[in-house]
Amino acid sequence: MSEHYPALLVILPLLASFFISAAGWFRPVLCFPFTVAGLAGSLLVSLGLLGDVMSGGPVSYRFAGWDPPWGIYYRVDHLNALVLAVVSVVGFINLLAARSSVEKEFPEKAGPFYTLYVLFMTGLLGMVVTGDAFNLYVLLEIAAITGYALIALGKGRAPLSSLHYIFMGTIGASFYLLGVGYLYIVTGSLNMEDIARLLPPLYESKVVTAAFVILMVGVWLKMGFFPLHAWLPNAYTHAPSPVSSLVAPLMTKVMVYVMIRMVVTVFTLDFAFTFLGLNDAVVWLAVVAIVMGSLLALSEKDVKRMLTYIVVAEVGYMVGGFWLGNSAGFTGAVLHILNDALMTLCLFLAVGNIVHVKGNSRMESLPGLFRTMPWTMAALVVGALSIIGVPPTCGFFSKWYLLLGALEAGHYGFLAALLFSSLVSVVLFFRIFEVGYFEPLGGSHGSAHGDDEHVVREAPLGMLVPLWITALGLILVGLYTGEIVGRVIRHAVPAMML
Amino acid sequence: MKILGLVIVALVGSVLIYATVDFPPFADPESPASLHVSPRYIEKSLDETAVPNVVTAVLADYRSFDTMFETTVIFAAGVACFLLLRIPRRRPPGPRHFRHRLTGLTFRVKDGENGKEIFLPLREFEPVDSVWTPHDFIIEKVCRYMIPFIQLFGLYVIAHGHHSPGGGFQGGVILGAAIILLSVSHNLRTALKRMREKTGALCSALGVFIFAGTGALCLALGYNYLDYRALAALLPGGPIMARSHGMLLVEIGVGVAVMGTMVWIFKNLASLGRYDEGL
Repeated sequence: MSEHYPALLVILPLLASFFISAAGWFRPVLCFPFTVAGLAGSLLVSLGLLGDVMSGGPVSYRFAGWDPPWGIYYRVDHLNALVLAVVSVVGFINLLAARSSVEKEFPEKAGPFYTLYVLFMTGLLGMVVTGDAFNLYVLLEIAAITGYALIALGKGRAPLSSLHYIFMGTIGASFYLLGVGYLYIVTGSLNMEDIARLLPPLYESKVVTAAFVILMVGVWLKMGFFPLHAWLPNAYTHAPSPVSSLVAPLMTKVMVYVMIRMVVTVFTLDFAFTFLGLNDAVVWLAVVAIVMGSLLALSEKDVKRMLTYIVVAEVGYMVGGFWLGNSAGFTGAVLHILNDALMTLCLFLAVGNIVHVKGNSRMESLPGLFRTMPWTMAALVVGALSIIGVPPTCGFFSKWYLLLGALEAGHYGFLAALLFSSLVSVVLFFRIFEVGYFEPLGGSHGSAHGDDEHVVREAPLGMLVPLWITALGLILVGLYTGEIVGRVIRHAVPAMML
Repeated sequence: MKILGLVIVALVGSVLIYATVDFPPFADPESPASLHVSPRYIEKSLDETAVPNVVTAVLADYRSFDTMFETTVIFAAGVACFLLLRIPRRRPPGPRHFRHRLTGLTFRVKDGENGKEIFLPLREFEPVDSVWTPHDFIIEKVCRYMIPFIQLFGLYVIAHGHHSPGGGFQGGVILGAAIILLSVSHNLRTALKRMREKTGALCSALGVFIFAGTGALCLALGYNYLDYRALAALLPGGPIMARSHGMLLVEIGVGVAVMGTMVWIFKNLASLGRYDEGL
């Protein structure tokens, strides 16, 4: 059975979506169990794949039994095996936390909600596992369409933000497709490794350069790389909590993976780094992204909205780390895909709990929260420490690798941006801690709400347990960083960077 | 902002045009796109799959996995429209309209005491939309006679995709359009009587399930996912014919999914998610 893992990974959630959809019409109570079954299946398969890749090297799968350039081909190596595990773990944990919110906010729409949830996961997993440039586009469309719909489900301005996201996202996806089309015109192939084999004699061609530029811009647009991030804060802020804690940790990270995959496997580092020589310019763009993301986060009064700008800054970390072009930078970027997915999940889940209890996540609702919601706030502290980069949380280690990479490349601008953004995070989160811990509940009038102050009003257990699994995961991943880097990421580093 | 936008558009446009310099000449038989993978599709697809239509063979066999996800995109779009538009509550209070079946007179019936709905006996009265749709005899009758033939043609397009242009997507659209035509020429209520909301939604899921299920069946029979050769164990004709049969199965799935989704999306959009009135 294990030779079918790459297919099962995508097929199990896809098949689950039909059962969820049908259950939504006949027996809505079954929707959630079907969703859990589908995603648990793909979680187990992705862990199995990671094990297979770690012990036996890359795994491949030929769909419909056709050989690579003619049929569609999946290939799992150390890089995407790790990202697959991250995506399926995050999606599964968030699903467990989503149940209470769904029952509270839109119980009658649970069927279509869970259907789109698993389809979104199908799209993301497929994008990561595929070895075919066009197949990646189709799965990108699935993840995008379901993502738009889930975001538009929020209240107030959510549909408008989602519409804005649709426009920008569609442009990004079209740019990606255009890039793939240009590559097809000059190589006649859609298979990633086949394109890489055919490209070297064509480096001089203007078509390849144009394809590269357009494709990169498209991917950057989808990941919200500054200054192409304009759609991101609104879309992620107005989305319902279970959706923002699904989309925010995963979509940007998967797009960073797509960027790495396209540069490393399709265009090859020879072309992107040596022939075009773009690396320095892109790292500077990343510097701007980190600085601007941090500054914009500083000006926000809503915790959830602040987090979305932190996501923008974190995208800068990963893009910059990769384009530094050395082994430490690459390790940092890939490790940060893992860490940032968990950190963002932890923070968005914590904010989701606050919204669940308080109705919003503005600074004014924070006073006294350490007393009334101790568990949620404690997890928020763990997530915040990880974003700041305090050992032993995992955020410290990826930042450490990124700093090493910046030093090795002699790129002091990136180094400074990393330190600056860490300092800004300290300010951001300690402001939240201060308000939550020291400011009395109910403002200056004190006694009016005095009785409420010591009553614990926590989010339901179904939301707390996933949050704490994530928070503990942050520390565990931090402690096992050496293992992860040594046994997985080191094998993913392209030979040219060693 | 407007000027900045124009500059960006000009920039992207010039990059695209700049690249065309190195394009292979238009319709060049020596271009890489016609030399690398396509020769095998053109020369061998009949021998390998027993399907004369190369497009169908590429779409439903060589790259069938892409096509499955294209169909999934359609399904996802249907679910998305339903999730965002459907209003689960009953119709809002307000006057309703009924037409007397014999005389064609239209009555406006207000809600009774404390907002209770009043229904006229349906044997003598039929409910009509509050934005009154004209009682057009010619359009109704002509469409009523055309729709069965349109549907028949849709089935033909699906079934004949192996030999001529056509296939699941096109045939599904024709089948869906037939139901939409019924709705446009009569009203939403008539169309809903022919195809309930649930039916459309389930067709949408069922169609993609036929596609994905065919693939899973191949996997269960010990072959790779969507490798139709596995079906030779169940169907007559050997592994090559099994590929052809597998494609037909998959095309039927696509047709069902596209028809269901089109009708489903149309009804959600036309009635603003209320499913009571509309075209």
